[in-house]
Amino acid sequence: MMHPFLVAALAAAALFLTGPAGAAPPGVGECMDCHGDKTNEMTLPNGQTLSLYVDLQAYRSSVHGGASCVTCHADAKAPHDKLKKVSCGKCHGDAEKSYAGSSHGKLHAKGVTDVPGCDGCHGKHDIRKPKDPAARTFRLNIVATCLRCHKDRAIEQKYNLPDQKVMAAYEDSVHGMASKKSGLLGSAVCVDCHGNHAILPGDEPRSATHRQNIPTMCGKCHPGILEQYEKSVHGKGLRAGIAESPVCTDCHGEHTIAKIQDPSSSVSSRNIPKTCSGCHEKEGISTRYALPKKRFSSYMDSFHGIAVEYGMTKAANCASCHGVHDILPATDPASMINKANLPKTCGKCHPNAGPNFAKGDVHVEISPKKAMGVFAVRVFYTIFISALVILFALHVGLELYGRLRRRKEDAPGGKEGPS
Amino acid sequence: MSHADLAAGKVIRMSLLFRIQHLLLTVLLTVLAVTGFALMYHGNSLSQWIIRLEGGVHNRGIVHRVAAVLLMANLVYHVFYMLFSREGKRELRQLFIGKQDIDDFFQSLRYNLGTAKEYPRFGRYGYKEKFQYWGASAGIILISITGIMLWAEGFSMIFFPKIVLDLAIIIHGYQGLLAFAVLFLWHLYNVHLHPSVFPMNPSWITGKVSAEWLREEHPLEYEKLKGEGLL
Repeated sequence: MMHPFLVAALAAAALFLTGPAGAAPPGVGECMDCHGDKTNEMTLPNGQTLSLYVDLQAYRSSVHGGASCVTCHADAKAPHDKLKKVSCGKCHGDAEKSYAGSSHGKLHAKGVTDVPGCDGCHGKHDIRKPKDPAARTFRLNIVATCLRCHKDRAIEQKYNLPDQKVMAAYEDSVHGMASKKSGLLGSAVCVDCHGNHAILPGDEPRSATHRQNIPTMCGKCHPGILEQYEKSVHGKGLRAGIAESPVCTDCHGEHTIAKIQDPSSSVSSRNIPKTCSGCHEKEGISTRYALPKKRFSSYMDSFHGIAVEYGMTKAANCASCHGVHDILPATDPASMINKANLPKTCGKCHPNAGPNFAKGDVHVEISPKKAMGVFAVRVFYTIFISALVILFALHVGLELYGRLRRRKEDAPGGKEGPS
Repeated sequence: MSHADLAAGKVIRMSLLFRIQHLLLTVLLTVLAVTGFALMYHGNSLSQWIIRLEGGVHNRGIVHRVAAVLLMANLVYHVFYMLFSREGKRELRQLFIGKQDIDDFFQSLRYNLGTAKEYPRFGRYGYKEKFQYWGASAGIILISITGIMLWAEGFSMIFFPKIVLDLAIIIHGYQGLLAFAVLFLWHLYNVHLHPSVFPMNPSWITGKVSAEWLREEHPLEYEKLKGEGLL
């Protein structure tokens, strides 16, 4: 942003420096002699026509409206041939620098015309400040600006970008709804997560959406949660460089983030067990971090698991006992599932569950080592029922055999004669 | 016994009160089995269909517990009836398992195998009926106790560690399976498919059996009734 007098000074300097001696550079009025004509157009070598019309009204109300044409088009004379490319970086050096390192910038430098240059997002003569609701880069307009290219199937396929579904998902997400439906300025739009000039793919360490940077990035708007996360086993793991430690998006999703009350949310009561077990049912994860196994199946077979599966959202899911962003291992005295804290944790729903109740395993893994009692009862009943069924069958068979014989003997000519 | 019954060769085997108790037991155990096994085998698609049909786990629980309360009421009534009514006391005396029943069991085995000449002569209740009666009673008591423990889980948590409730769940479920196996395989065979009654022993509806059937299957009872001039 520049003061008008600075713009004027620069314009004057530009006039002084670039204007050949004797031929004064054209003023806006002179340019508009030609460019104010709506029908003024030229034919490009590829046969397309290019409108040469400039909307003076739009220019005057743009952020640069106080300057003059030659501020940007320094080589303009009247009349003129094709002009040099406008260099925004002359004034906006920082933006140009970070743009040059971005995915867009790198391709742009190679001459790829599909990627947006400055004008692709900001516009040309009608550039407005991002705070201006009419600006393309106004928070509530940004999604539409990005989607002009990112919802274009041809571009998605050409550059192997996430497809339209991913893009459309954002619009239905909690962030998308908040900005689109409720018009909230505080809701995350594309640039809040991906950055603006410095957009990079998520697999580059410098990218805002790289795994290691995601918690900090989300924490810009959710600082309280970030604080809890940093203290949790997952947060500490990530900060210690364990890449597979979950970050925000692993549980919440990316473009699909939904409220927890939304049944489609990956962290809704019903979906949480699946989301957690996405990692915690993996053999490798349990082995590498010495975690107990069969947490998912033992939970799903418990009454809590069954109730949640059938939509009783009141029943305990993983997060009810383990915590959400503040998950800690059971060995940590602050953990909700530390032995000493279990009565309090269970007591959230079951006020009568005291220290006596909390003895023993919560996840019952039916094996001789983990739950001998339950295992023994199950084996006993299995054997008992099987034995009983076999004995029934034997008894029935024997009885039929006996009756058959009796009938033969009772038949005429048998031992006892007819009865 | 009415004269018409006598003329038709019919004998009353189940009085109206017993038939009502038996019918209640049939209906309630079926409801309990359907709602219970759906929960026990919840991963199964049939179970999922049944639970949806019952209006989800919450409503399933309500149906299960209403049936359970009625079953327990039936049980309590039955206990009082057997202990204190004239008919009940008479029946109870004949239901006790004695040495004779064990002998009868082995004799029937030997007879069926061909090593004994005589098939055992049963009184009002043979070893099969007695086994069924006491087995079902013990099962219902065990399943009721564990069921109440699980229902009143807040109360149980005061006294028991979680392992006890884990055991209660597993006993409750498998006891149900046991009851199901006994009733479905053993009882239904004996009252429907057994050659002496096929296709059905009608006494659970009409209360009556034929004198001929009684003479064949329960000869001692038949002779006793005859001796008392009731046949």
